[in-house]
Amino acid sequence: MSAMVRTSEELDLATQFRQGDDSAFDRIVERHSAEVAALANRLLGWPSDVDDIVQEVFLSAFLGLRKFRGECRLRTWLFTITVNKCRSFRFRRRWSLTRVVTGDPEATVGSGPSGDQGAMDEETFARVRRTVQALPRRYREVTVLRYLQGLQTQEICEMLGITANAMQVRLNRAKTRLREQLGDLFEDRP
Amino acid sequence: MTDEGIRALLQRADTAGGNPVFSTVSVVRIRRRLRERRIIRTTVPLTAAAVVALAVAILTNSRQTQIPLPEPQPERIASIEEQVKQLKAQTDATLKLVQEVLEKDRQRERLAALEAELAGIPDPVRQMEERVDKAAFVLLYQADRLYKELNQTESAVAAYKEVIQLFPTNQWADVARERLDQIEQRRINKSEDKGETKCEPRNV
Repeated sequence: MSAMVRTSEELDLATQFRQGDDSAFDRIVERHSAEVAALANRLLGWPSDVDDIVQEVFLSAFLGLRKFRGECRLRTWLFTITVNKCRSFRFRRRWSLTRVVTGDPEATVGSGPSGDQGAMDEETFARVRRTVQALPRRYREVTVLRYLQGLQTQEICEMLGITANAMQVRLNRAKTRLREQLGDLFEDRP
Repeated sequence: MTDEGIRALLQRADTAGGNPVFSTVSVVRIRRRLRERRIIRTTVPLTAAAVVALAVAILTNSRQTQIPLPEPQPERIASIEEQVKQLKAQTDATLKLVQEVLEKDRQRERLAALEAELAGIPDPVRQMEERVDKAAFVLLYQADRLYKELNQTESAVAAYKEVIQLFPTNQWADVARERLDQIEQRRINKSEDKGETKCEPRNV
């Protein structure tokens, strides 16, 4: 399915919702909730339980979908809401002094690919996640959106409201920091 | 570390982090949540306002009950007025006394100042006496010079008699009388030496 067809479908869903068809919103949720949850999970440091954020994102989408003009993809629009909600959530969490709870390593043992992981174990992956979380917000966001969500430069720039050059600078700085702290993980790898 | 290496590492770490857990999102649930929010948004301020109003009412009521208005008591008011009048009279009397004491002090100070000023002024009578004394002395001195240095006995006698006439009560008048006695005694002695007796009555 091409991007154009997909965008046309998203616009149709938004139009149907504006006309009072609640099932259109349910279809939007069905189509994007997993991606929204995954993005929130990554931006918040893999806490696993992202129910509150997902509910908040779709609540905001429900209230703002009538104003959606289709100038960008619906997924991009939902991701923008997610990024903003995650920022607010992290800000509130910082003040409430709640520790970031990462996913339970034991719960995910064996869930990922095991054959080509080599010497990397769960502890190593936890270290990688902690390193990503320790990045400054502007670097962490571009890293997650680029490498984990697989978004294109233009899409990231639209979401964050920055230029392509600025995004590239942030990404390079993020990579530099990752190399500084995780360089030893690649010594044995070409 | 290449770009692809970073991507692969991050993706593996993400996969190992597990899938996110979230409950199903539906329009019904969202609408229910919106209703709850609306209720909270309207209920909380209303409740707060009601609590504040209740607190104000309780406070006002308690103040009114705590401080009852005093009943009018004419006798007590008259007594207090009488006491006020007495206090006022006492105050006036005290003020008057204080003013009198202050006035007396002021007069005493003025008198002391005048006395000090008067003490500075020389006594004119004494000054006149001193001048008279000085004049008598000068006249006697002239007579002594006539008698002792110039041997003009008659002129000296006239001068001594003038001192006695002009200043009869002065000390120098007594001296002049002594001089006249001495001159008379000397004349008598001379006449006795020559065999003559001469007795002249004293005119002084």
